[in-house]
Amino acid sequence: MSRTTDVIVVGSGLGGLMAALAAARQGREVRIISEGTGCLAIGTGCVDLLGYAPDGASVEDPWAAMTELAPAHPYSLLGAEKVRAGLDALMETTAKHGLVLRPASRDGKPRNTRVPTIMGTLKPTYLMPDTFEPDDLGKAKRVLVASVMGFRDCRPALVIDQLRRYPDWADKEYFPCLIPTPFDDAHRALNALDLARAAERPGGSEWLIGSLKERAEGCDLVLMPPICGRHAGSPLARELREALGCPVVEMLSIPPGVGGLRIRDALMRELAALGVELVENANVIGAGVAEGKCHSLDISSTGRSYSTKARAYVLATGGILGGGVLLEPGRAIERVFGLDLALPTDVADWTEPEIFGSQAVSKVGVRVDDKLRPLDANGALALENVFFAGRSLGAHDPAVEKSGYGVALATGWQAGLAAAELAAAAHNTGEAATGGEQ
Amino acid sequence: MLETTVVVIGGGATGMGTLRDLSMRGVPAILLEQGGIAHGTSSRFHGLLHSGCRYVVNDPESAHECIEENMILRRIGKGCVEVTEGFFVLTPKDDPNFVEPWLKGCDAAGIKVKEITPAEALKLEPNLAPDIQRVFRVPDSCVDGFRLVLHNRMSAERYGGRAYLYHKVEEIKQRNGAVCGVTARNLMTGELMEIACRVVVNAAGSWSGEVAAMAGLEAAITPDRGTLIVFNHRFTSRVINRLHPSSDGDIFVPHGSVTILGTTSMPTDRPDDTTPTYPEVTRLLEIGEPLFPQVHEYRILRAFAGTRPLYTPGGASGRKASRNFNVVDHAADGLDGMVSIFGGKLTTYRLMAERVTDDVCRRLKVTTPCRTAEEPLIEPPDPAVLARAAKLFPVRALNLMADRLGDDLTKTLQIAEVAAVAAKNTKNTHITDFGGGNPLLCECEMVCLAEVECVARDPSTHSLTDIRLRTRLGMGTCQGTFCSLRSVASLVEHGIPLEFAPADSMCRFLQERWKGLRPVLWGQQAREMEFSRSVYAGILNLDGAMHEQNN
Repeated sequence: MSRTTDVIVVGSGLGGLMAALAAARQGREVRIISEGTGCLAIGTGCVDLLGYAPDGASVEDPWAAMTELAPAHPYSLLGAEKVRAGLDALMETTAKHGLVLRPASRDGKPRNTRVPTIMGTLKPTYLMPDTFEPDDLGKAKRVLVASVMGFRDCRPALVIDQLRRYPDWADKEYFPCLIPTPFDDAHRALNALDLARAAERPGGSEWLIGSLKERAEGCDLVLMPPICGRHAGSPLARELREALGCPVVEMLSIPPGVGGLRIRDALMRELAALGVELVENANVIGAGVAEGKCHSLDISSTGRSYSTKARAYVLATGGILGGGVLLEPGRAIERVFGLDLALPTDVADWTEPEIFGSQAVSKVGVRVDDKLRPLDANGALALENVFFAGRSLGAHDPAVEKSGYGVALATGWQAGLAAAELAAAAHNTGEAATGGEQ
Repeated sequence: MLETTVVVIGGGATGMGTLRDLSMRGVPAILLEQGGIAHGTSSRFHGLLHSGCRYVVNDPESAHECIEENMILRRIGKGCVEVTEGFFVLTPKDDPNFVEPWLKGCDAAGIKVKEITPAEALKLEPNLAPDIQRVFRVPDSCVDGFRLVLHNRMSAERYGGRAYLYHKVEEIKQRNGAVCGVTARNLMTGELMEIACRVVVNAAGSWSGEVAAMAGLEAAITPDRGTLIVFNHRFTSRVINRLHPSSDGDIFVPHGSVTILGTTSMPTDRPDDTTPTYPEVTRLLEIGEPLFPQVHEYRILRAFAGTRPLYTPGGASGRKASRNFNVVDHAADGLDGMVSIFGGKLTTYRLMAERVTDDVCRRLKVTTPCRTAEEPLIEPPDPAVLARAAKLFPVRALNLMADRLGDDLTKTLQIAEVAAVAAKNTKNTHITDFGGGNPLLCECEMVCLAEVECVARDPSTHSLTDIRLRTRLGMGTCQGTFCSLRSVASLVEHGIPLEFAPADSMCRFLQERWKGLRPVLWGQQAREMEFSRSVYAGILNLDGAMHEQNN
């Protein structure tokens, strides 16, 4: 039994980290319980808000499109202003640690930008690192598409073939380029994280600049996989840009998520400075619940079990992928409290024949009120001191909407604020978490 | 206009086996298949090479044929058959009185069966239920149906036979009550192909009723749908059968790195009714549980379904319908030169092909005897070729590849050797490129670039799914999440076009996998599905690209 804290956050993906940040900024004592690294380890370095409307239409202004979503959508529950508050908090925090993220704008209004991926597709996203100007993409005429020898996930030939199929990218001139690997002797297949780490070692900058300098001559844009360092505030991309004299854009890449890890790095540094406690490799295996409140969480960690307590709890345990939502034959449940999650009775209706269609199963999740507290099957409040955030929430499909980070950071931030408020009130009234000694 | 003597319709095991037999006997022949190789039932079953024990009580003739063909295929199809043996297991839920007639049947069919104690059986197969009552060792084996058809094709081509894939027969031409030709449409280009011939062999399996109808003939073919599930790992080293009268879901077959459980039986009116359903999957698991009590916990990769071409002239159906085959010469129905082969099962495909070829040869007065039981489908790999390949491929991949590729091993090696030289010259190499320029694209099934390239260059390869079937790329745990992107990227890089644009190719590939995932969407595999959607839709916006790109 550990000491009772103000707020326990379960999960250290973007939702969990934002919740911890919000509660800590309110002066609460915060403990993060984390099983793994969370979604940022597989995510990109750009922040999506909303890329496509429910009818599949491409979204230019996510703030306007947000108001058209279904009432149960997490954005609708919060409203645009609270989403903006979370986004501002993220931008301000990462900037503090050297990672400046900001949106493109047109006519003074922020808008989505379509950024190339390592497959050569374009993805609408909202915040991008300031190492390139969004307009650079449209203006470029001669594009160097670079990757690394032996790096299987990004091949310039595919990127070029794919980009040419977009009307506004069709008329550019493309130059493929494979730079030598920085490893004399690697014993396994290279991924983007290996390369990003190598780039941060002594000589890494020289490796990148040296291999690209000549090739980039005459080009007005360099596209490359996200390998310019794995830390927030790594100067590599900027140095490269200056040395090459043209914009350098890191393409969005498949896991491991170097870009996401940079965001995580910035947030973790901030949380450490705020004194947030982080318990890693800890699996929440159950919860003590009485009188509509959670009073403890059962933890299993590195072979031992114990329980831990707080005045308020934020559950940012993830969805099906993260393990917060368990799919079983014929039903879905929330993992920690065993909440039943609504899905069609007939399993045939869980999915649609098209993989990227609107899948009921991908929208499964915890139903919450506007404070993000869980509701039971009848719509009544199930737990009054528990707040859900991120992918554990239902009624959205981030893969298709391109809303993953946006929902996570906005709901995480609000859940953290709400939990902090509740914990503060409990403090003031002298009330501890129900049951047990301190 | 092409001219040949015999047109074989249907590119499954029977059709390709017939093409091989005809070609080996010197009869000019062309095969037409509407899909890819083994697009029908030959790639949609559990992969069991029957010992015959399954049929000894109800269908002793089939049982006898099975054991004979089983032994022949072990000899001629070394690259396709994994000799595993099998168990027949009596569980507490099965009738112990069935054992006696079953043993008598095995004896009568000439199948060697040996009883071992449950304790011995559990030592060999520790995942079996501890309460099993009796266990018999039988000579069951496993066969890769797809590869079997592929190797038959290679053998046929060595003797001059030709197979056209993605060619759908539209008309069987007749003159004066005799067959005189066939019209087929190339489904990839839309072009028509005319072939003049003297004989048409209808070996279209579940579609054979439709083909017969095209010639104005009636045939009582009832497609019977069977669903199977694929588990993520190999939890049994042997084929495990429940010792009871034939029923749904009672056979577990280890296959490469996975295990397959099958099969249900349900009449259908469509030969292409191959979408598995959730109720079928749960039923399979229930019936499998007495053999493997943990079966609900095992991770399921996917489900799939195929249709059995049951021949039901008397009106019997489902499990009561004979699994036996019939060669029907339609001269009796007033059409000379048309021969159909109805019913049957994969284990006896060679025998079926032999019988139908005998019939055709009698008509053509060809007296060359059948040699398909003596000559191996593919030559064993040349040790010198293997030694060269060992320098450019990981050892484990090499063995798998030699079995998969058959005659194409040498071609693949040449591709890898050229790549290695090029890589050395340009210093464009990396230690994980085996031999330089030959990276491993699919870790689950150990598929290297050179193999993908070789298969992709084959004129009969059109899609990533064709590549998957030939190489097993994307068949493992990740179900293609990583290797499909890498493969498409490599193919574009090497200038090898697929039928569809890269994004479309990927989408079709993922879509095919999705079909098998829908009825088994729980546990770890559901997480894998969400991961795949996160990567391809969430990060790469493949779904958006499908609408936004010009193709």
